[in-house]
Amino acid sequence: MLPVRRLLAQPRFPSFSLARSSSNSSHKRYDVIVVGGGHAGTEAAAAATRIGAETLLITQKIQTIGALSCNPSMGGIGKGHLVKEVDALDGLMGRAGDYAGVHFSILNRRKGPAVWGPRAQLDRSRYKEFIQSELLNMPRLTVIEGSVEGLLVSAADPEQPGKHRVTGVRMADGGDKILCSSVVLTTGTFLSGSLFMGRTTSPGGRMGEAPSCAGLSHSLKEVLGLKLGRLKTGTPPRIIRETVNFSLTQLQLPDPQPTPFSFINTHTHCKPEEQIPCHLTVTTPGVDRVVRESLPVNSHVQQDTKGPRYCPSIESRVLRFPGRQHQVWLEPEGLNSDLIYPQGLSMTMPPEMQLRLIQEIPALSQAEIHTPGYGVQYDFVCPTQLFPWLQLKSVQGLFLAGQINGTTGYEEAAAQGLWAGVNAGRTALSLPPLSLSRTESYIGVLIDDLVVHGVTEPYRMFTSRAEFRTSLRPDNADLRLTPKGREEIGCVSQHRYQEAVRVQQGLTEALSTLNSISLSPPCWREKLSDVGISENKSTLISGEEMLLYTDVSFSILASTFPDLLSPYLEFAERIKIEAVYRPHCEKQQREMERMREEESLSLPPDFDYFSQQVSLSNEVREILDRARPSTLGAAMRLKGVTPAATVHLLNYVTKTDRKTRGK
Amino acid sequence: VNWQSCCVRCDSSVSSAAGPVDTIYALSSGQGRCGVAVVRVSGPAAGGALRSVAGLSRALPAPRTALLRSILNPQTNEVLDRGLVLWFPGSLPGLRPAEAGEFTQRAFHAGKLDLTEVEGLGDLIHAETEAQRRQALRQMAGDLGQLYNDWSQRLKRCLAHVEAFIDFSEGDLIEDGVLNQVDLDVPQLQMEIENHLCDERRGERLRSGVQVVIAGSTNVGKSSLFNILCQRPAAIVSPIAGTTRDIVETSLDIGGFPVLLSDTAGLRDTGDCVEKEGVRRARHMVELADVTLVLVDSTQLPQEPPMVSGFLREYLMNVLPSGNNYKQQRLLILNKIDLLPKEHISAIQNVLTQTSDLAPVCILSCHSREGLERFLTLLQDRLKTLCGDPLAGSPSLTQTRHRAHLQNCVEALNQYYQYRNVDLALAAEGLRLGLSSLGRITGKVGAEEILDVIFRDFCIGK
Repeated sequence: MLPVRRLLAQPRFPSFSLARSSSNSSHKRYDVIVVGGGHAGTEAAAAATRIGAETLLITQKIQTIGALSCNPSMGGIGKGHLVKEVDALDGLMGRAGDYAGVHFSILNRRKGPAVWGPRAQLDRSRYKEFIQSELLNMPRLTVIEGSVEGLLVSAADPEQPGKHRVTGVRMADGGDKILCSSVVLTTGTFLSGSLFMGRTTSPGGRMGEAPSCAGLSHSLKEVLGLKLGRLKTGTPPRIIRETVNFSLTQLQLPDPQPTPFSFINTHTHCKPEEQIPCHLTVTTPGVDRVVRESLPVNSHVQQDTKGPRYCPSIESRVLRFPGRQHQVWLEPEGLNSDLIYPQGLSMTMPPEMQLRLIQEIPALSQAEIHTPGYGVQYDFVCPTQLFPWLQLKSVQGLFLAGQINGTTGYEEAAAQGLWAGVNAGRTALSLPPLSLSRTESYIGVLIDDLVVHGVTEPYRMFTSRAEFRTSLRPDNADLRLTPKGREEIGCVSQHRYQEAVRVQQGLTEALSTLNSISLSPPCWREKLSDVGISENKSTLISGEEMLLYTDVSFSILASTFPDLLSPYLEFAERIKIEAVYRPHCEKQQREMERMREEESLSLPPDFDYFSQQVSLSNEVREILDRARPSTLGAAMRLKGVTPAATVHLLNYVTKTDRKTRGK
Repeated sequence: VNWQSCCVRCDSSVSSAAGPVDTIYALSSGQGRCGVAVVRVSGPAAGGALRSVAGLSRALPAPRTALLRSILNPQTNEVLDRGLVLWFPGSLPGLRPAEAGEFTQRAFHAGKLDLTEVEGLGDLIHAETEAQRRQALRQMAGDLGQLYNDWSQRLKRCLAHVEAFIDFSEGDLIEDGVLNQVDLDVPQLQMEIENHLCDERRGERLRSGVQVVIAGSTNVGKSSLFNILCQRPAAIVSPIAGTTRDIVETSLDIGGFPVLLSDTAGLRDTGDCVEKEGVRRARHMVELADVTLVLVDSTQLPQEPPMVSGFLREYLMNVLPSGNNYKQQRLLILNKIDLLPKEHISAIQNVLTQTSDLAPVCILSCHSREGLERFLTLLQDRLKTLCGDPLAGSPSLTQTRHRAHLQNCVEALNQYYQYRNVDLALAAEGLRLGLSSLGRITGKVGAEEILDVIFRDFCIGK
C-alpha cells in the first residue's frame, strides 16, 4: 500500500561557465529576450523555453540569478497558492523550494484546506543553486551577463493593436543590439530605483549592486509614453546569529513531516529531522522611542510614496499603531549561514540608530548588525496598461512581470513571470496569447486585479481576493492547471502531465467507489461506532457523504472497506478534501460560468466608447476609455461601471458582432 | 429635428394629427374624469399638430410660453374647448419619449437611487392614503436601503475580521479573540433580519387595508357610527332593532391609514331566518377582523356603577369569538351618552378607570358627536400599531424580492455556525454568500472593500 516514492530530482549543478553566453550573441536573433534574473525573470525565461521559444536571459550577474533579495522564505497564506499554481504549470519555484527549504510548515492548518498556506524557510545558497542549475542547463535558453540600455522600437504591425513594436534590446556601454520577437522586462526595483538609509539616498535597486536601467526608464517613459508610478519597499538589517540570545525567544518548530510544494515531489530535499527552527520575539516601548527619535533623520519614512500596508517597516508600524507589541520573527538565512533575518524589522533609519533599535529588544540586546536595513523607491508601470496576457497594450511584443507591475513578493513575481514568459513565447511563435481566468486560478485573480484596477500600493496576494476561494485550493492546483497547461498552453512537460492525469483518474475512481458504497445509518453506526450519525437520518448514506463528518477520514473508511478503498490510500487527504468541498464548489459553478461567459466576450482594443451608438453615461465612457478593458467581465469589475452600462455594452458588442459576421 | 408640444385642455378627447411615424401623443394626466387634462405630443410632426389644433396658421407659439387658444378639431374646425398650448422645441438629436419608468431607471443606473429607492418610488405612485404614501416616501428616501446598508456594513465587518484571521493570523497579532466579536455579531444580525422578516404583515396591511368591523347588540348605534365614519348615510339607520341584516362595507382613509370598514347585523337570537344569516355573517366578520369596534348602548348599562364592569365583560364575551376575547384588537364604545345624566357618566368613567382589562373604552354619542374626537384618536392609534408607523422604528419590509434575498442571507449565515469550528474558510464563505445576498438588494461589495476594513482595524505586520 505504499505509494511509489519518486525521488526528488537532484539538480544538475551549474558549471558557472559562460560557454553558452556567446560573445557573438549580437548576430543571433532570439524569439524571446528576458531582462532580469529574479523570480519573475527566471520563471519567464524557463516558461518561454518550455513553450519552445529560443530564449535569451540577460542579467547583471549570473551569480545573482535566483537570489532571494529579501526574506529567506517562500509561500504562506495566499502566496502558497501561487507557488502551487506556478508548479502546476511546470514552473521552477515549487521545486526550488522543495530543494532549498530548511523549515516547512503549513499555515492555517486549523482553518480549512482552502486557505492552507504551505510555507518554507529557505537556504539562500541552495535556492540560487537550484535555479541556476535549472536555467543554465535548459535547452533553447542562453544566459548572458550585461545591462540593457534601451529597447529597439519600430512602427507597429497595423494588423495588431498597439502603437509601437519592440524589435530587440540595446546593450549598455556601447554594446550590441540584440534582435528578438518578444521582450519580457522583469527589472524589479531597478527602474529608477533609489536606496534610502537615514538621510542618505543613492541610486540603485539593491544594496551592493550597480544601479541600472536608467536607459530603460527613458525608453518606457519618453519613447513609449507609458504611465509610471512610484512605490517603496524595504528590507531589515541582517543580524549576526551568535549575538542573539535565543533563550529569550519563543521557539517555532517546523511541521514534523515536511510537505513538498511541488506536485511531482513526494518529499523534500531536507530530511524531517534536519529542519531548523525559527524564533519569535516582540518589540518593546524602547523600540517605539527610537523610531520617534529617528524621524528627523529618516527620509524614506517622510516620503509620500506608497508602501505596502501589510508588510510595513517597523517605523510605519509604530507610527500607525503606537504603544503595541509588534512581533519579530528571527529567521535563519540558511543551514550554514551565520546570519539571522529579523522579519518585521524592516527599517530605513541611519545604521547607528538601527543598532540602538534592535538592542531595545531583550533577545537582541547584545546583537550585532551584519548589514543594515534600507529602503528602496522605484518606478513601476501602471499595470492597467497591460493586456491580461501581460503584454503592454500600446507596444507589440513587450511584456512586463513582477515588481515593475506594482506587485511585491517572490511568488507574485514568479506567477507573472511564468505567464509573461508563456505569452512572450507564444507570441514569438505566432500562437495566440492566452489569459487565465479568475475562476480557475489565483494567477488569474492576480493578473486581473492588476490590469483591471491597477495598484495604489505594492500588490500582494491574499486568499480573500479570490471570490472562488472554495474551488481554487492549493491541493487541487494540479487538477485545475496541469492538463490545461499541457493541452492548451503548451508549457507543461509530458512527465508532469501524465502524473496529473494519473492523480485525476485516481481521485475520480476513488470518489465513484465511495459512492458505490451505500449503507443505512444503523449499518454505518455498527461499522464506525465513534461517528455521531443523527438519529433522524433514515436514508442510505454513501461513503462520500460519510466523509462530510469531521471525524471520518478516508483512511478510516479504507480500513473498513480495505478491498475497495485501499488502492486509493495514496490520495487519502485529497479525497477527504474533495468530498467536503464538492457541494460548495458545485454551488459556485453557476457564478463561475457567468463570469467565464463575461470574460469570453472580448471588447475590441480600439472600441470607441464615445460612440453615440452605445448608450452610456459620460462618466462611464471616460472610465472605460481610460481602462480599455479586454473583456466584458473586466469592464464589469471596474469601479464606477454600472450594471446598466454593461448591459448596453453587451447589447452593442453582440449586435456589432452579428453585423460583422453577416458581412 | 424633434419637437414637443403640450396643451392643457378641459377635456380629454383630442383628434390625432399624427403625421409620419415617430410622432406620438398621449394623455399625460391621469385617466378618467378630471377638471384639467394634459395632452402631450412629441415627434417631428408635433409642430404641425399644434398649429392645426390651436388654429395657428403660420408661426408656432414662442417656446415655453403658455398661450390661451381655442382647441379645434383639425378636420372640421369645430371648437372643442379652450386651453393653454405650450411649445417646447427639442434640441437634442435622437430625442424620444421615455419608456415607462425610464427616467427612474436612468436615475438608478446613474447611482442617484438604489434599488429599494426605486421600488419606493413605484409604491409612492400607487399610494392611496397618507400612511402608504409616507411608507413609500420613506423607502424612496432611502430608509430601507439604509437599514440594509447598515446590515451590509456590519456583515462586511464580520467578514473582514474572519478574513483577517484567515489571511493574517499566523505570524501577526490577530488572535482568536477577533472571532469572539464575530460570534456575537452574526447571531445578532441574523436575529434582526429574522425579526424584520416577521414584520412583513405590517407592510402588507398598510398596502391592502386594515379590516375594521363594527359589532354589538341590536340598536346600539352601529350603523350611525358607520355613517359618521363614512361621512355619508351609507347604511340605513332606524329606531327599529335589526335594521341592518347584511354586511355593509366601505373603504376609508382614516388618519392616513387604509381601512376596510364593515357594519354588521346586531347580535341577538332571532327566529327570522334572514336576520339569523345576518348574525352568522356578522360573527364571521368579527373573526376576520383586525380591529373590532364593540358598540354598547350606554342607556342599557346597569344603574349601579359597580355592576357596569361585569356587564361589559359579559357583553364582550358575547360579541367576540370565544377563546381569544381579549387578545383580539378591539375597542369598546359606549354610545348614546347624550341620553345619560352627567353624574351617571362620571360614575361610569370612574368605574372604568379602575378596570384596566376593559381598556380602551370610548364614551361617545353618535347623535351629539360628543367624544368622537377621542374615539378617532384611539382608532388611529390602533391602526398605527397594526400597520406600524411608517415613520417610526425600522422601515417595513415591502417587497417579496427583498424577502427572498433576506431569507437567503439568513440561511447563508447558518453556514457560518455550521463550519465555525471545523473549517473557517467555509464559515467565511457563508458570510460571503450572506453579504452578496444583501448586496443584491442594494449594491455589490467587492474584495477590496473587505481588505480596507482589515487594514483599518488591524496592524498587519507580515
